Amino acid sequence: MTTDHIIGEEKSLKEIIKDIDIVPLFQDAVSAGVSGVILKDSSGEVLFQHGNSPEGTDHSADIPVKFEGEVAGNLVITGDRSSKYLVDSIGTIIHDALKLILKSRFKSLLASDTHETVIQQSYDELLETNNKLKLSEMKYRDLAGSLEKKVQERTDELKKAHAKLLQQEKIASVGQLAAGVAHEINNPLGFIASNINSLKQYVSKIKDMLLFYRSAFEEQGLTAGDRELSQEKWKKNNLDFILSDVDELVRESLTGADRVRKIVSDLKGFSHIDDVAGADIHVNDEIDRTLNILTHETPEDAEIIKEYNELPVIEGNAAQICQVFFNIILNAFQAKQLNLKLRIRTRHSGDHIRIDFSDNGPGIPDNITNRIFEPFFTTKEVGEGTGMGLNVAYDTVVSYGGTIDVYSVQGNGTTFSLVLPVKAGMNS
Amino acid sequence: MVEYDELENRMILKLVYYGPAMSGKTTNLLQLHDILDQDNRGELTVLDTKNDRTLFFDLLPFFLIAPSGLKIKLKVFTVPGQVQHDATRKAVLQRADGVAFIADSQLTEETNNFESFKNLEQNLDFVGLDIEKIPLVVQFNKRDLQNIIPETDVTDAWEPTGIPVFMSSALLGKGVLDTFRRLLELTYEHVDRRYMLWDKHGLDKSKFVHQLTMRSDNEPLHEGI
Ligand SMILES: Nc1nc2c(ncn2[C@@H]2O[C@H](COP(=O)(O)OP(=O)(O)OP(=O)(O)O)[C@@H](O)[C@H]2O)c(=O)[nH]1
Ligand SMILES: Nc1ncnc2c1ncn2[C@@H]1O[C@H](COP(=O)(O)OP(=O)(O)OP(=O)(O)O)[C@@H](O)[C@H]1O
Ligand SMILES: [Mg+2]
Ligand SMILES: [Mg+2]
Repeated sequence: MTTDHIIGEEKSLKEIIKDIDIVPLFQDAVSAGVSGVILKDSSGEVLFQHGNSPEGTDHSADIPVKFEGEVAGNLVITGDRSSKYLVDSIGTIIHDALKLILKSRFKSLLASDTHETVIQQSYDELLETNNKLKLSEMKYRDLAGSLEKKVQERTDELKKAHAKLLQQEKIASVGQLAAGVAHEINNPLGFIASNINSLKQYVSKIKDMLLFYRSAFEEQGLTAGDRELSQEKWKKNNLDFILSDVDELVRESLTGADRVRKIVSDLKGFSHIDDVAGADIHVNDEIDRTLNILTHETPEDAEIIKEYNELPVIEGNAAQICQVFFNIILNAFQAKQLNLKLRIRTRHSGDHIRIDFSDNGPGIPDNITNRIFEPFFTTKEVGEGTGMGLNVAYDTVVSYGGTIDVYSVQGNGTTFSLVLPVKAGMNS
Repeated sequence: MVEYDELENRMILKLVYYGPAMSGKTTNLLQLHDILDQDNRGELTVLDTKNDRTLFFDLLPFFLIAPSGLKIKLKVFTVPGQVQHDATRKAVLQRADGVAFIADSQLTEETNNFESFKNLEQNLDFVGLDIEKIPLVVQFNKRDLQNIIPETDVTDAWEPTGIPVFMSSALLGKGVLDTFRRLLELTYEHVDRRYMLWDKHGLDKSKFVHQLTMRSDNEPLHEGI
């Protein structure tokens, strides 16, 4: 044999993977929130890198890349601000994409290598086989084309991860906005309430005086004409009604102002703008707070059954925990508009607390229960749900080292069950 | 012709599934891929084309590390069986360390089997390999069909050659692993003679064969419902 080309010759990662495959993928990973992505070969040589190098980062995932059954390199994903969860899940996505790229590139490489090898062989056979081979080489070019499609799919997944980050930021900024508005409302509300209080006192004095004048007038009034005139004016101005109504009016205004004050304080509490991360959280209180915020979304005849037990505090950011409760409770409210019963039960056992939200809604069909935590998964009309609620809840609970489970019987209600670890040293 | 890199401490072995068109070479590899533990193997690359006929070849790689640290990669290929792809067959056959000849048991295929085996002899010679020396096993496939050559006829014909013969139905996964196992044993013996897999690398035959034929514990995964 005169040929140097051996079919199935060993190939290194470097020979198989092209910049054009990997660079956009790594760029997308970094824009989705990790700080750096590196592909090394088995000798440790860096083949591709995007973003920061791993030094001084909080978390990195090191994924062995197998090729032909042998570890041929490593994929290192690092992240600093980003959560471990994000780094790991983007790592998985990139690794999957890499496997696809390897597989397809290797295939087309083998195909064109074979072509070359065969061409160098006997000329008689060449004429016969060449056309066929060309045809199939074309096919593998097409295959490489469909590779692009697959890579595109992976890229879309990365975009999703990115959108999720945005969504979480949005939720945070809604909280900020609420806190700002709360602050703005509090000032004018303060003097409205205090003015109404003064008004209440003034009115009672005016009323008192008015009644005094009236009785004085009617008993020893100047002339009969004056008396008549006075009675007529009294009637015309509807003063009997006014005097009886004015107290009620002031009282209602005060109640109203008080309600505004309470809403604002709940709003502020809910956004927890003043909280520091790692504060003590009283779960029962936070659930109540969340229910208050949701007053307007609560179906009118809903029955909310609270079965709270005494709980130790958990540690974290109350705004995030409230967001979880909010998303779960709102789903229940949206699931059943008439005769909704929602039972919220809290319990403490050992080193964790457990919170069950059970509704008597329609339940979740079996074939979608494993999808409801996916980002953007929703069964609601466009504009009604974004499908991020449970996903955000899931990520938050996991980041607290907890779990979130769903039990649902179709036609017979749904229970979301949260388990959260209590603050170290608090498990009595 | 073993590829051995002393510096890298690496060895590459190549086995080739040879035989007439449509005899079931690709099916053999598909079955091995399904049956065997994925920890010891890579992915199956099927370079097939129109109507499931192999135009180039298929490749199923395996990987293991001997007690000495010697890395062994085993690459199992199929050739295209159709007569016109002889150039590709030669190319794939280069530097083979062992061959499994997959014959079609159907009576109608007798001539094709014969032609293909002759072709194997010629091409081994063409790439500088000796059919008398190279590890070789024969498999009579498609035993599940009607109108097949009787087993006694097969043994009568092949026994004198000393070449191991297996009856199989690749479609049903029968005999596939036995064929592969025997080929591995012969290949081990062949390679051991020259590279001292046992004396120098502490890798004995049964360990070599066992590692490469470990079944996956998990039943085949059925994804979705
Ligand atoms: N009944 C039966 N059919 C089989 C068996 N093994 C393979 N086949 C079928 O035979 C056909 C050809 O099988 P392949 O494995 O593609 O054959 P091949 O030797 O790779 O063929 P080429 O690569 O085109 O030369 C397929 O339709 C297989 O399903 C078997 O044991 N029994
Ligand atoms: N209590 C429940 N009862 C019945 N189905 C539910 C319940 N909670 C969630 N689901 C189902 O899970 C899906 C996903 O919920 P998720 O909160 O993630 O998104 P969403 O409510 O549709 O939209 P978003 O919360 O982003 O506005 C819902 O569309 C719904 O089909
Ligand atoms: Mg929701
Ligand atoms: Mg084939």
